[in-house]
Amino acid sequence: MSSKPQALASTGPMRAFATNSKKVSTELIEINETLVGFNKFVTEYYKQLAETWDTAQKKVNLKAPEVPQDVEQIEAFKRIWIDIFDNDFTELFDSKKFGENYGKLVSKELDLTKHWNNISNVVLQAANLPSKEEIDEVYKELHSLKKRIVKLEIESKKGKVKNEK
Amino acid sequence: MKSENAIDPKLIEEILKFNKNVIEAPKHVPAPDEIILEATPHDVALEVDKTRLLHYKPLTDKQHKTPLLISYALINRYHILDLQPEKSWVRNLVQQGFDVYMLDWGSPTDMDKYLDFDDYINGYLDGAVEFIKNESSTEKISLQGYCTGATLATAYTTLHPESVKNYIATAPVIDGWRDTTVISNLAKNMDVDQMVDTIGNMPPEFMYYCFSVLKPFEQGIEKYVKFFKNIENKKYVDNFLRVEKWLSDTPPIPGELFKQWIKDIYQDNLLIQNKMYVNNSHIDLKKIDMPIFTQVAVGDHLVSPECSMPLHYAVGSEDKTLRMYPTGHVGMIASSLSQKKVLPELGKWLLERS
Repeated sequence: MSSKPQALASTGPMRAFATNSKKVSTELIEINETLVGFNKFVTEYYKQLAETWDTAQKKVNLKAPEVPQDVEQIEAFKRIWIDIFDNDFTELFDSKKFGENYGKLVSKELDLTKHWNNISNVVLQAANLPSKEEIDEVYKELHSLKKRIVKLEIESKKGKVKNEK
Repeated sequence: MKSENAIDPKLIEEILKFNKNVIEAPKHVPAPDEIILEATPHDVALEVDKTRLLHYKPLTDKQHKTPLLISYALINRYHILDLQPEKSWVRNLVQQGFDVYMLDWGSPTDMDKYLDFDDYINGYLDGAVEFIKNESSTEKISLQGYCTGATLATAYTTLHPESVKNYIATAPVIDGWRDTTVISNLAKNMDVDQMVDTIGNMPPEFMYYCFSVLKPFEQGIEKYVKFFKNIENKKYVDNFLRVEKWLSDTPPIPGELFKQWIKDIYQDNLLIQNKMYVNNSHIDLKKIDMPIFTQVAVGDHLVSPECSMPLHYAVGSEDKTLRMYPTGHVGMIASSLSQKKVLPELGKWLLERS
């Protein structure tokens, strides 16, 4: 027992964590790379919003150049402002350039999530807990078993009806 | 001497009144858990996994023979069809003498991420239909699908036409390529495989984002300004809070189901082209040969009329009706117009065939 001190460490969390610590470093480096891409698309996202806001405000200024003075005028101004802004922003959200950039932005966010999941898995493994993938396997198996049970129940019912006839 | 830029006293009065309303709002607004969304009495007739089949209690002495099952959408909960007595879709139909059931899909959790179209159509929906047929001793039922619930109901009707006597498609999501809404633009550009593989179910937060880009200024500013202006109007506040509570209750959508829905409907548009398959079974719209009633809202900004209407032309039925209403997606099912026009027309159509 005393001649194998490494066996003591093999059961604790530190050994498992140390074995996979390189994975954590790799994930952190990749997170930084993903963040660069994420920043590119998030900048484009806010640029599109800012440009649309700017254009819409110019349209409002052209349509309602006077400063509203009473309740009725403010109400009319508000209506013009909302209609123009809603139209212009809906046009933006409907556009191909917005859809494509938004899709890429979400994709980068998902990449980040994936990296965090991978880091969490290292910690979970060190604590001898199941990883997300292992839990997913269980869910998949449960789903498949449920389907098989339903199928068997239907077949059993059909068999009963046949026998009754 | 009077200044030319003098502020209208009425304006100051309005601003002060608005401020007062904002400060006093908590006195007029009940807590969210005090708002009960289900208006019409019902029993839970069947529970399978997280789904529930609701059976509404009759409000007339006599009921029409063919029961009606409503397949609600996958987005938000079924409460919008029974939000308050005077605007309740369900109550109106029950008052017209129909025997109404509704399928509540429940709130899926991570464990349900592998549920797919097959589970929803051939599992939950078919299970509910078989249960109703058995309970009411009928061979066929009337089926209504709303929004994405109509996509499921449409696929179900093609696979099990022998169980459906009449089919009602309300704002159905059918032709994804023709859909001109913001939702469709986002769906077409989404890497749905990556989303489902990484996070499992479609999270409610994503749906909240999608809602926030629909008429953002009308819905994000004007709606709340109107709310505070009407804070002393009990009926207005009650209606507003019910809708807000309903809007804030969006369950996740099971990953596999969401994946197939986005790919087959919005990205590859397989349903309308008769190229969609569910568990190797072909979804052929021509197999819908029973009476069909398609309801479309002209101002629908969630499912555009161009996305819903192709169903009317694609089915095999000879007895088919298409109605267009001057309202929006929710207005068609929960408004005064739905009570005065949409439901009486549906009731008349259904009665003639029940």
